[in-house]
Amino acid sequence: MTAFKEIEKKLIQQAKELLERGEVAQVIAYGRGYDDQHPMPYVAKTVADADNLVFNEFCTFNLVGYLMRCPPGIKVAIVVKGADSRAVVQLIQEAKLRREDLVLLGIPASGMVDQKTGKIIDAQTTGGQINPVLCDYLLGEEKYGRTESPYQVLKPLEVMGKDDRWQFWQNELSRCLRCFACRKACPMCYCDPCFMDQSRPRWADKSPTAEGSIMYHLTRFYHLAGRCIDCGNCSRSCPVDIPLYLFHKKLAQDCEEMFGQAAGMRIEDKPVMVDFRVEDTDEMLK
Amino acid sequence: MLKKIEQGKLSELVTALIDQGPLYAPVRDDRGVNFQSIRSPLAVTLDFYNSVLSPKAVFFPQSEDLISYRLGRGEPTAKTTPLPTAQTILLGVRPPDAYSFFLMDELFLGSGIVDPYWQSRRDLTVVIGYPFINQTPDAVDFYSSLGISATDTRGSDIFLIKKNGELLFKGLTEKGNALLAKQAALFTEATGDDEQYYLAALAQGAAIVTRNLDCDPKRTASKLENLFADTAFWEQMAAACISCGTCTFVCPTCHCFDIADENIFRDGARRRFWDACMFTDFTLEASGHNPRSRVYQRLRQKVCHKYSYYIRNFGVISCVGCGRCTRSCPVNIDIFTIIAEAMKK
Repeated sequence: MTAFKEIEKKLIQQAKELLERGEVAQVIAYGRGYDDQHPMPYVAKTVADADNLVFNEFCTFNLVGYLMRCPPGIKVAIVVKGADSRAVVQLIQEAKLRREDLVLLGIPASGMVDQKTGKIIDAQTTGGQINPVLCDYLLGEEKYGRTESPYQVLKPLEVMGKDDRWQFWQNELSRCLRCFACRKACPMCYCDPCFMDQSRPRWADKSPTAEGSIMYHLTRFYHLAGRCIDCGNCSRSCPVDIPLYLFHKKLAQDCEEMFGQAAGMRIEDKPVMVDFRVEDTDEMLK
Repeated sequence: MLKKIEQGKLSELVTALIDQGPLYAPVRDDRGVNFQSIRSPLAVTLDFYNSVLSPKAVFFPQSEDLISYRLGRGEPTAKTTPLPTAQTILLGVRPPDAYSFFLMDELFLGSGIVDPYWQSRRDLTVVIGYPFINQTPDAVDFYSSLGISATDTRGSDIFLIKKNGELLFKGLTEKGNALLAKQAALFTEATGDDEQYYLAALAQGAAIVTRNLDCDPKRTASKLENLFADTAFWEQMAAACISCGTCTFVCPTCHCFDIADENIFRDGARRRFWDACMFTDFTLEASGHNPRSRVYQRLRQKVCHKYSYYIRNFGVISCVGCGRCTRSCPVNIDIFTIIAEAMKK
């Protein structure tokens, strides 16, 4: 188990130092919500603010999306867990963030708990990555050793027949309310405007028809092919608990198998769908 | 009128009710409890705290066709969708939610323009309330703050209370008594002991206190009016908000809708469907200008609509303290905390 109290202490200390030295304008981290089990994203702007920071097993929300609201050229510190750090790397690859604007406070966090279910988030569900892939300050002990494959959870879907699987996704996706929490929670969903908000052309019904919802999610899944870093924000944010992460994982697995590259692992990589190589597989065209 | 039935016979009762018309009741699946149109009597559960989504969709569906039309060669044809005519029963509604129907009546019926869709469904529906009894309130509920009790009868036609293996049904309105009379064959007459049990249960439930906050409507409204231009306050409250529509979609009193014509080739419909003030394009104008382009402006709109504008328009706070928005918020924004902070200002 992760020593959350110690990490929290280090986090507050580090945030204070960075703010005191004027190295960053703000620290994006977690603060107290309405109780201990429900921390909230929190921005510390002064040394005094830093005392309000918390870190515990319920700090599951991936904060990287908030970086997209920060103007470039102003240095910002942010807490990143394993998958979150991959989001930063992926966004740097996509030229949406600049490395020099960021101070990454890495936290190797295992034993994180889903606030709704109370269950531990592991490789089975989301967030299989424990150690940050990129950080400036490491605020805890890195963990090594094999964990379960993040794709293990896909087994039941893989053994399903094609028709059953399609039925499964139709059932799941037609429950969508179109609250768009998934796209708003997703650090990779930064299109402005999102294709769903466009009226000319209109890509899907504005009203929540099942066909329109399926259109929305399938398009979003494919927009995220080779880009999803499996943080699970979309699925945890969903008020009706659609397991979106399963589809994202499948695409991530395909990308990894076909192109030998997982999203957001190294700054030097090009996003898989942008990087064309002659030796690339044409498996998907068959 | 107080009637009773053995709990084991609930499915018989449900079957009889389904025969009368559509029945909406709480159903549990692996993602929690929600109100659904009941086809199988065994699906109904009474063992729940509250539904994830509010039951407002029974009166105000997430999407409904107002007009259907056919375009193409020759004269286009169009017809308005007939208003519903079937008696509907809504079973298992918690008192704060039942009261929310009253709050929505203010807008849909009392604003000078009557919404025929809302009105017909309200007239046709019998609401069977299910008060909180012997139940610790959820940590985020705050209906007490809004003057709603755990056994509030406002908005219910019948009250349903569990009594060791039996279910007591108390008719509260004419509509409710008529329904109980119609199903008389299934019920047995309640005894004096049941009467006492019912009253004791109500008294016990009425003592339940949730999180509490003094938010007198007039004072709250003027407080928020004075705070409107305090951008720093709203930016702080909205710092974590990701501007999704979850809070408004789970809310029993959020009622904003959009209307669009949608067609596939020649056949189409003019639909109205839930919209949310938290969406970026909610106030987007045709020119491209958006008067609420920032997240804090949208969150301020949501809070002030409930706790300020609605009071100025109808004299009541448009919130029942059910706690759904807080429970479902991906980043744990809590409207109770926002109001509490505002009142401190």
